[in-house]
Amino acid sequence: MENVQLTVSDFVALVNQTLEYAYPSVSVIGEVAEFRVSQGKWVSFKLKDDDAIVDCFMSVYQLRIPIENGMKIMVVAAPRLNGKWGKFSLNIRAVKPVGEGSIKKGFELLKAKLEAEGLFAPERKRVLPRVPSRIGVITSTESAAYADFCKIINERWGGLAVEVAHTQVQGDPAADQIIRAIRYFNSLEVLPEVLIIIRGGGSAEDLMTFNDELLAREIASSRIPTLVGVGHEVDHTLADMIADRRAATPTNAAEMLVPDRQEIIRAAHQQASSIGYLLIQAIDQNALRVREQLDGAYRRIRERLDSAFERLATVRVVIAQVNPENVLKRGYALLTGEIKAGASIEIETYKSYVSAEVKDVRSK
Amino acid sequence: MSEANKPVQEKLTQLSDLVAWFQSPSFKLEEAVTKYKQAEQLAEEIEKDLTKLKNDIRVVKKKFDGDE
Repeated sequence: MENVQLTVSDFVALVNQTLEYAYPSVSVIGEVAEFRVSQGKWVSFKLKDDDAIVDCFMSVYQLRIPIENGMKIMVVAAPRLNGKWGKFSLNIRAVKPVGEGSIKKGFELLKAKLEAEGLFAPERKRVLPRVPSRIGVITSTESAAYADFCKIINERWGGLAVEVAHTQVQGDPAADQIIRAIRYFNSLEVLPEVLIIIRGGGSAEDLMTFNDELLAREIASSRIPTLVGVGHEVDHTLADMIADRRAATPTNAAEMLVPDRQEIIRAAHQQASSIGYLLIQAIDQNALRVREQLDGAYRRIRERLDSAFERLATVRVVIAQVNPENVLKRGYALLTGEIKAGASIEIETYKSYVSAEVKDVRSK
Repeated sequence: MSEANKPVQEKLTQLSDLVAWFQSPSFKLEEAVTKYKQAEQLAEEIEKDLTKLKNDIRVVKKKFDGDE
């Protein structure tokens, strides 16, 4: 090339061609410095380590997780010589934080940003149907989490139409695949009633897919209510924070999604038994009412009888007083026959009958 | 509730209605035994229906690894 005379433009083009051929894509790890966003569109910063520094350039759209100075990140980029400014830089395609500290920092920054926009607000959360009939599931169908999810929903409920979109659930393409799957379900003519996104446990790096800003926003804008169950109980991702409902695990997502048929069966039998109890109660109440009515009737008859007996006793006293027997008992006698001298008469005393003859009759 | 679940849901509603009737002013002892038998029958049917219901799980053929 020593004898070839090139224009500056040709030289820059040649360098870029060589770079593109030799290093179509490189992954570089370093610390962020001089981070800047221009016109709300372009992001530039320097990536450095103890001995070297390199310029980095990308669009805001490509920045899926907020970064700031001092964060350790890995960039996936194409090296390029910028002809206009004569500067060598990395044209970045993807950024991800490296190390626990940076992952946490990135998570906190994005969380704060989405929170400020009100995307986690409780009033945004939609209620999931109690018993859905048609659901969409986004997960890796090769995962144990998916197997667990299917096992639990099959045990708990039946009659569901379940459509499953198989995507990666970790690694660089995962977030975009999940976003496409969310769009797919939202574009269906008949929408599922719930969209479930599940993934089993993993390291903080494995779960980073679910802290992707675009994915979080896609979940937030889904027309279908969302249920996200990622990782274990202790894992919190932006995807599950932004979803309408968060499940602690994929198994928990299945439990939240459908009722337990055994519980429904128990409840149905319990309802039937409660009716039996109500029936017995009603019969008892009726029997009690009838008994009370009979008691009342008996009481009223008794009262009438008592009153009649009282009246009878009074009459009997009166009758006894005028009974001729009693008069005789007091020493009087009852005389029958004609009262004239020489007539025969009958005299009745208490104890005897006397036949006598009238000797004399005088006026008093 | 899917079409498959619909009769179950209807039966659950009927059962709840029967319970409500027993607690309502419309309650008549003369009709109660028949209604109680209906409730028992419904509970049995709900158990049978729910036990035999299966889910239809299908994996979407569409791939999500490329551009839309």
